[in-house]
Amino acid sequence: MSSLYLLIPLGVLVVFGSIAAFVSAVFSGQFEELDAQADKLPDDER
Amino acid sequence: MSERDWTVYDRADLRRGFATVRGDACDVTVALDGLHCAACAARAEKAIAGGAREVHVDVAARSLRFRYEPAVTQLSGLLAALERSGLEPRLLAAPDDTDHGQRRQRLSLARIGVATICTMQVMMLAWPSYFGVDSGPDLEPLLRWAQLSLSIPGVLWAGWPFLSAAATSLRERALDMNVPTALALLAAFAASALRTVAGDGELYFDTATMFVWFLLIGRHLEGRSRDKAHAHLRLLAARRALTAQRRVGRSVETIAIDALAIGDVAIVAPGEALPADGRLIERAAELDEALLSGESRPVLHAVGDPVLAGSLNLGSTALALQVERLGRDTVLAQIAGLLDNASRDKPRVQRIADRLAGHFVAVVLLLAVLGAGLALGNGADGERAFGIALAVLVASCPCALSLAVPAALAASTSRLARHGVLVANAGALTTLADIDTVLFDKTGTLTRNDMVLRRVFSLDGSELSRATEIAAALERGSLHPIASAFASVATGLDAESVQQTPGAGIEGRIADEQWWLGAPDSAPWPVIVPTNAGQRPDDTLIVLCNARAAVALFILNTRIRDEASAVVQALGERSVQVELLSGDGAEAVAAVAGRLGITRHAARQTPAGKLAHLQSLQQHGRRVLAVGDGLNDAPLLAAADVSAAMANGAALTQSRADLLLLGDSLRLLPLALEVAQTTRRRIRENLGWALGYNLLVLPLAMTGHLAPWLAAAGMSVSSLMVVSNALRTERRLRSGAALPVQALRT
Repeated sequence: MSSLYLLIPLGVLVVFGSIAAFVSAVFSGQFEELDAQADKLPDDER
Repeated sequence: MSERDWTVYDRADLRRGFATVRGDACDVTVALDGLHCAACAARAEKAIAGGAREVHVDVAARSLRFRYEPAVTQLSGLLAALERSGLEPRLLAAPDDTDHGQRRQRLSLARIGVATICTMQVMMLAWPSYFGVDSGPDLEPLLRWAQLSLSIPGVLWAGWPFLSAAATSLRERALDMNVPTALALLAAFAASALRTVAGDGELYFDTATMFVWFLLIGRHLEGRSRDKAHAHLRLLAARRALTAQRRVGRSVETIAIDALAIGDVAIVAPGEALPADGRLIERAAELDEALLSGESRPVLHAVGDPVLAGSLNLGSTALALQVERLGRDTVLAQIAGLLDNASRDKPRVQRIADRLAGHFVAVVLLLAVLGAGLALGNGADGERAFGIALAVLVASCPCALSLAVPAALAASTSRLARHGVLVANAGALTTLADIDTVLFDKTGTLTRNDMVLRRVFSLDGSELSRATEIAAALERGSLHPIASAFASVATGLDAESVQQTPGAGIEGRIADEQWWLGAPDSAPWPVIVPTNAGQRPDDTLIVLCNARAAVALFILNTRIRDEASAVVQALGERSVQVELLSGDGAEAVAAVAGRLGITRHAARQTPAGKLAHLQSLQQHGRRVLAVGDGLNDAPLLAAADVSAAMANGAALTQSRADLLLLGDSLRLLPLALEVAQTTRRRIRENLGWALGYNLLVLPLAMTGHLAPWLAAAGMSVSSLMVVSNALRTERRLRSGAALPVQALRT
C-alpha cells in the first residue's frame, strides 16, 4: 500500500503532462478538418 | 485561357487585403473552381509544395489554405502553378474573423478534453468514498489533495466560460442559466476545497468536474453546427474581385482592388466582373447584372450609365468605366454586410425561451435557499442542507431549456446550408413551418436565364441544318443567353473576325462569306415572319443574314427550370397554394403558368400591385412565402411572412430574403419546408422535455432524495437529450429517409 504515496502524486503529474500534450495538440490544429484528411491520396514520394 | 498576370499579389502594400499576416509568414485562402476530387487535391498540394507550408485542401468547399513567407516565396509563382494545374485559382479576400473563430473552436475543444481527463481522474480518486472504503488517515488527505489539484483545471479553467458568462449576466442585471450553473460550480468547488484543507467532510469535486464536462459537450455540439452554417455565408461574401485593370496614360496595369482609386479608369475584359461601381465611358456595353438586379437578361448600358461592381462584361471587347464607389461603399459590399447582420439576428422564439429561462433561474435560486432552509428547520445538519441546496441548483439548471431552441435551429440551419439553402434569418425557419401559400413573384423565378431553340424557318430556301450550324459557329464563345440556345448544336464550321454589337447582333466570316445574326429589327435585310411560324408572345426571334438576303429565322424561348414543375407539384402535395405574380404580359405569364400547372396567376403586376395582393392574402389569414430574384421584389420579400431568393438573383433581394437558395435551383424549396416543419417539431419536443424534466426533478432535489452528483448527471443527460434530439433531424435526413425531394435531385 505504501507505494500509493508515490504513485498517486505521480499519477497526478502524468495527468497534468497529458493535459499539456492534448492542449498543445489542439492548438496546433491537429483536430481540424478531419474530413479533409479522407480526401487525401496516399503519396508514395513522401 | 491565357495565363494571368499574378505578380500584383507580390506587392507588400496590398497584402493586407487577402492575407492574414503572422510574423514573417502569411496565411491565404484560395478558391479553386477546378477542384473536384481527391486527385485534384493531391495535384493542388503538389503544385505549391515548393513554397507553401501548412497546406489544407478542402474539397467540399473547393478551397485551399496555406502559409507562405513573402520574403522567400513569391505568391504569384504559387498561384501561377495552381493555374497551370488547371485548378482555376481565385485569391479570396482575407476573412475578418476566421482567426477569432478558429481560436474559439480550439479553446472549446481543449476545454472539453481537459474536463474529460479531469472528471475521470477525480472520479477514480473518489472511488473509496463511493464504496464507503476507509482509506485510512494517511492516504485520505493524499486522495483529497489530488482531487483538488485536478479540479483546478477541470472546474476553474474548463468551466471558465460559464463562470465569466455568469459574471457578465450579473453585471447586466439579467438572470440567465449561467448564474445557477456558476453558483453551483463555485459552491461545490469552494466547499470541497475548504474541506480538503480542513481534512474533514464530504467532497463534491466529482460533481463539479462532471457538471462542467457535460455542459461543455452540449455547448460544443451546438456551437459546431452553428459555425458550419456561418462558414457558408463567409465563403459567399469572400467571392468578390481582388484585382482590377487600371488605365494609366496609354497602357493598362493590373493592380489589387485596394489600389484602385475614385476617378480611375478601370478596364474590364470580356467575361470578367466589374471591380467597382462607376460610370461607363467611351463605348456602350452589355452587362450581366443577375447578381445585382436579378435581371437575367443582359442589360445594354449606354455611355454615361451607372454600372455596379460584380456585374459581368458580356461583350466581346473590353469596357472602360470611371470609378465612383469602391470597396465597402459598393452596392455589392453593402449587400454582403446586410447578409451578415441578418445571420446574427436572434429569432423571436429564442428570445422567449431566454426570458423564460431567466424567470426560471430566479425561482430556482429561491427554491435552493428554501430547500436548505426547510431541511435545517426539520433538524438536518448543515452538511445535508448544503447538499440539498447544491442538488437543487444543479438539477434544476435550465440548461436544457436554453439549449432547446438554438440547438434545433442550428442543426437545421447547418443541414440546409449543406444542401444549398442559406438561412439568413434563423427565426424564419419557425415561421416557414406554417406557410400555406407560395408566391412566385416573377416569371424569371420559374424560368432559366438560358434559352432553347424552339423552331427554325428557312427564309430563302436554303438548308436548315447548315443555317443552324452557321448560327452556332457565330455564337460559339459568346456569353450571351442567346448563345446557350445553340450550345448543343455540333458544327465543324469556324467563324473568323467575329464582332458583337451589343443589343443588335453578331457578325463574322464563315467559309469566306460574311454572316450576320441578330434581332429582326436591326437586320441588314427586311424580315417577314412566316405566318405559319406559330410564334408565341414570349418568344424571342433572331435572324441569320448573309450579304444577299435574310437566310433563316430562329424562334427561341426561355427554358422553364427543369425542376420547376416537380417543385410546384411537391408544394401542391403539401397542400400549399402556389401563385404566380408577374410583370410580364398576360399571354407570356399564362404560357408559363400553364406549362407548370399553376392555376392562380396574374400578369402585368406592378411592385405596388404585388404588395397589395400579398397583403390581402395575409389579411385572409394566409401565411405567405415569397420567392423572387429581382430588384423590384425587395419590398414584397420584406413584407412576406418568409422570403426566399435564388442566390444568383438580385443581391439586394438576397439581403432581405430569409432563405437563399444556392445552385440556381428551386429544387430545395420543398426541402426547406420539410426541414422547417421538423425543426418546429424538435423545438416543441425540446421545450416540453426540458420543462417537464426540471419540474419533475425539483421536488426530488428539494426533499433531499437526489444526491448532487446524481443531479449533475440527470441535468446533463437532459441537456444531451435536447441536443441529440436536435441533431437527430440531421442524421435522419442525411440518410435520405423521409425526403420526398430526393426525387427532384438531378
